[in-house]
Amino acid sequence: MKEKDLSSTCERTDELVSVLYGEAGERERRDFELHLPQCSNCRAEFAAFAQVRESIGEWRDGALSGFVSAHPAVAPVRKSALAALRQFFDLSPLWLKGAVGFAAAVFCVLAALAVMRSGPAGEPVRVAERNPDAVYTKQDLDRAVQEALAKQSPPAVTPEPENVVQSPTPKSANIAKSEPKARRPFSRAERAQLAADLRLLSSDDESDLDLLDDRINRQR
Amino acid sequence: METLGTDEIIVERALSGDADAFGEIVRRWERRIFALTYGMLGREEDARDATQETFLAAFRNLRGFRGEAKVSSWLHRIAVNQCITRQRRAKVRNEAALDDEEDKANSFAAPLEGSPATITEGRQRTVAVRRALNGLPMELRQVVVMKEFEELTFREISEALDLPLSTVKSRLYTGLKQLQMRLEKFAA
Repeated sequence: MKEKDLSSTCERTDELVSVLYGEAGERERRDFELHLPQCSNCRAEFAAFAQVRESIGEWRDGALSGFVSAHPAVAPVRKSALAALRQFFDLSPLWLKGAVGFAAAVFCVLAALAVMRSGPAGEPVRVAERNPDAVYTKQDLDRAVQEALAKQSPPAVTPEPENVVQSPTPKSANIAKSEPKARRPFSRAERAQLAADLRLLSSDDESDLDLLDDRINRQR
Repeated sequence: METLGTDEIIVERALSGDADAFGEIVRRWERRIFALTYGMLGREEDARDATQETFLAAFRNLRGFRGEAKVSSWLHRIAVNQCITRQRRAKVRNEAALDDEEDKANSFAAPLEGSPATITEGRQRTVAVRRALNGLPMELRQVVVMKEFEELTFREISEALDLPLSTVKSRLYTGLKQLQMRLEKFAA
């Protein structure tokens, strides 16, 4: 066989190749280095193979230095939020830029108005201080409630004379003033009275209008 | 830089429909596969074509990749087969792989520096090495190329070619020995 014909007279070809390519273990490399001075065949082959490798290396380096990938690697670039925003605006159309600018201006105006309406910083609001030592009994609490209710209750309404023609305005005002929250529905009599008042008012208005007409006629 | 995972994970992604995943495999291995095909074929054009065909074949047979071997070994095997097929075709067409390429070869390489005599000597040596390598039997050549061009370890070569480690070393020794003899003959 060809491989046999070319084989070294020395049996240590595997070690020679391993050491030549730097893949021998520490022990293997040391053994071969001890063997090398004693074996002229291995010494000659080692030197010749190193030269062959050098020649192949020259060709390889020259040949592969001109290699250009058909698929250049695109390294993913991480952009900052600001850079991404800038790129977004660079790519966006003019109307979008204008709209964003207008929205920003409106926002600024509204923010300024809100600040102005809040007013200058005055005295800080005083908050009632809590007295941890104060102890209230149920009687104290009831008394405080009664006092508060007395303060809130409306002043006593003076009775109106019955024969006086009541104008609708004060009556309605009285109704509005007296307990607006707990307003009871009008009774039938009250509704009739209210209707009569309204009629009375409209007749007055009409008479006023007539008078006004008369005045106008007179002026003419 | 973004971590994309091992070759095996990327192949899984490609199988699950990720269109960019196989492109990542190509980017990772293109240069090494080109080095292999260039060393095997000795011509830039052939090497580029063989590299392209290797990745095309890998893409077509992606579903056949079972993950038993490494992706790198799988790609190497495909590339070696592509080179063998190309050389067979060239022999049928009675083409000399290198004879008409001596002048073209150096246009691909980096510009040479030095005196005209040095350049001429360098070119002659390059031609001699290529011829010597091209003259090696395929089983020896692929081991020498994988070692010298791709700088794979013995173990990686043994995995890629599915050969025992001792056979890889033995073939490399024989290949270097034949190269040495051919180069000595050329120098004489």
